[in-house]
Amino acid sequence: MNSNIPFLNASIAQALDYTAPILFAALGGVMSENAGIVNIALEGMMRFAAFFGVWGSFVSGNPWVGLLWGVGIGILLGALHAYITVKWAGDQIISGVAINVMAMGMITYLLESVFKTTGYSPPVAYFGAPASKVHLTFLKGIPILGAFAELTILIWFALILVVVLHFVLYHTVLGLRIRAVGENPHAAETLGVNVFKIKWFAVISGSVLAAFGGLALSLGTLSSFTNSMAMGKGFIGLAAMIFGKWTPFGALGAILIFAGAQVLQLFMQGTATGFAKLIPLGFYLSLPYMLTIGALIGVVGKAVGPASDGVPYKKES
Amino acid sequence: MKDVFKRFFFGKREKYWWMNVLVPLVSILLAFIVGAIFIKITGRSPVVAYKLLFGASGLFPGPYWKSHFSEMLLSSSMYIATGLGFAIAAKGGLFNIGAEGHFIVGGITAAYLGYAKPFAGLPKFIHLPLIIVGVILAGGIWGAIAGYLKAKRGIHEVITTIMLNWIALYLIEAWLVIGPMKAAVETGISGTPYISLSAKLPKILPPTRLNISIIIILAVTFLIWYLFYKTTFGYEIRTMGHTLIFGMEAPKAAGINVERKTIQTMFIAGAVAALGGAFMVLGVLFQYPPIFEGGYGFDGIAVALIGQNEPLGVVLAGILIGALRTGATTVQLAHIPKTFPSIIEGFAVGFIALQMLIRYWLMKLVRGRKKSVQTEMGGGAK
Repeated sequence: MNSNIPFLNASIAQALDYTAPILFAALGGVMSENAGIVNIALEGMMRFAAFFGVWGSFVSGNPWVGLLWGVGIGILLGALHAYITVKWAGDQIISGVAINVMAMGMITYLLESVFKTTGYSPPVAYFGAPASKVHLTFLKGIPILGAFAELTILIWFALILVVVLHFVLYHTVLGLRIRAVGENPHAAETLGVNVFKIKWFAVISGSVLAAFGGLALSLGTLSSFTNSMAMGKGFIGLAAMIFGKWTPFGALGAILIFAGAQVLQLFMQGTATGFAKLIPLGFYLSLPYMLTIGALIGVVGKAVGPASDGVPYKKES
Repeated sequence: MKDVFKRFFFGKREKYWWMNVLVPLVSILLAFIVGAIFIKITGRSPVVAYKLLFGASGLFPGPYWKSHFSEMLLSSSMYIATGLGFAIAAKGGLFNIGAEGHFIVGGITAAYLGYAKPFAGLPKFIHLPLIIVGVILAGGIWGAIAGYLKAKRGIHEVITTIMLNWIALYLIEAWLVIGPMKAAVETGISGTPYISLSAKLPKILPPTRLNISIIIILAVTFLIWYLFYKTTFGYEIRTMGHTLIFGMEAPKAAGINVERKTIQTMFIAGAVAALGGAFMVLGVLFQYPPIFEGGYGFDGIAVALIGQNEPLGVVLAGILIGALRTGATTVQLAHIPKTFPSIIEGFAVGFIALQMLIRYWLMKLVRGRKKSVQTEMGGGAK
């Protein structure tokens, strides 16, 4: 039994590694969509930030500089999305598609012009290096809790952020305003809330969170940027946000279920016998998306988003 | 979202209807300008890049024109298919992000019907139409799932189509292609077996690879145009798109079965986008590889938006994107990565999303008076 503890802890740590980037993306979605702005560009923003983080770290040799670069590009992209969707009441889906398409082309372009390589960047200083991890040695050896003994700072940040975001959204005036703007902007405006300001704030901070998701991939899990890195992570985040009913803790729970499906898949591949062995890999991989549709249909609890989510807001003139 | 459709569809009844043509043109032009600035910043020459890009795009005669031209039409036919997939749904007021999924569902269906035993022995004039029918059914049903969930359960189609894309991807590439449909090990092929000779699309411009896919898709485009503008069915679908802003009450009051129309629209959209995947398998790859080179579905959204969701516009935009992608392989000569066109594409879509702003600028240019512009545009620009 004792010999299983390190293995168990390592598996949990691995699951947390898988969780962090998706959690950031989902929280970014929670922030933005609670203020009524749909952001399907989470994926593209992660890709941008993952690359810029590596670039910053490559130039300076310091992952914290990379982090700043990633956050910077997150702010820029958020401002772009907000400029299109909030200021000009442009379509949120089209704007998101534009950012995703741009992320595909521009990052591959920059990857080749900055690092002169195709598909991946050279390794850089990152948060996952043994020395940069957050060491809580007293937890080592304890089942389950031991998994938290050596995590990157980004994973801790993601987990803490769930609590912080929950507090901000449901226990502060700002959070009330954000949700009011997402539910009924006209009513919020009547009560003196500056709808545009709140939306700008929510979109940009949501994008920064998505950017952290990208950073957690390229500077947390790996130490370099690879071209297929963010593939689908942003969309799983989107799914998790919906499955989690647009709340921070819901998103965390959803991702833990998704991560559970992944772990189950690894476990099944090794040990399954009889009927379970017949279930193909593709089924486990598509499970998060099937669960999300199930949640929307109402099979797995009803998921209902903010009332004005996706509707462009214009002041009555 | 509803607002965009309002602009797209009421657009034609506007006094300034030519805006609908001018806005995409200006967007593309702006995208090319921004692209040039981007090349300049990264230390290359935009003139050289664009010369290479258009020289090999197949749009203009030049060396190796015949092969560039055929490659351009090959990829254009796929972009037009996925673009129509988006545009058809948009006509009915639906936002179909699912073309990527429909595309690969069409691809795997074409591959299966192309190599599987009972079909593979059939003569070409039976086999090929059979495959096309199968692809239309498979893609259509995959699309209709999202339509059903929207009509009966009220779930937003953007979410379901994104989810269905990933479900399709994993079920196909992490199950079918590596499992039941895998080619026998001794053949040494990765992916599905190659399709039989009778399943390949006939070539029309030897020695190039050009096949009848472009003719098929142009015929489909005409059918779609006819459907939308010359039949009651299409009229009813457009009514749904037009009146989306009123919550579908008007078409319901007029006796249109909105639920059934939604499912039917998504069926057609899925079926047409799936044709693109079939073109890929039957005309270019001749099998379903372990990893399908994706992106046609998402680029289809761009194609439809640039083409303003009109059948003719989609064809023109599809040819433009196809040409850019074809020319892209040569820009590598100027040390510019071949993904460069997707930067232009991304900016073009971005400017389309900003069309309120572009309309405002254009109006200002035309009228020269700020105040009247604001009132005529319904005070949209704030």
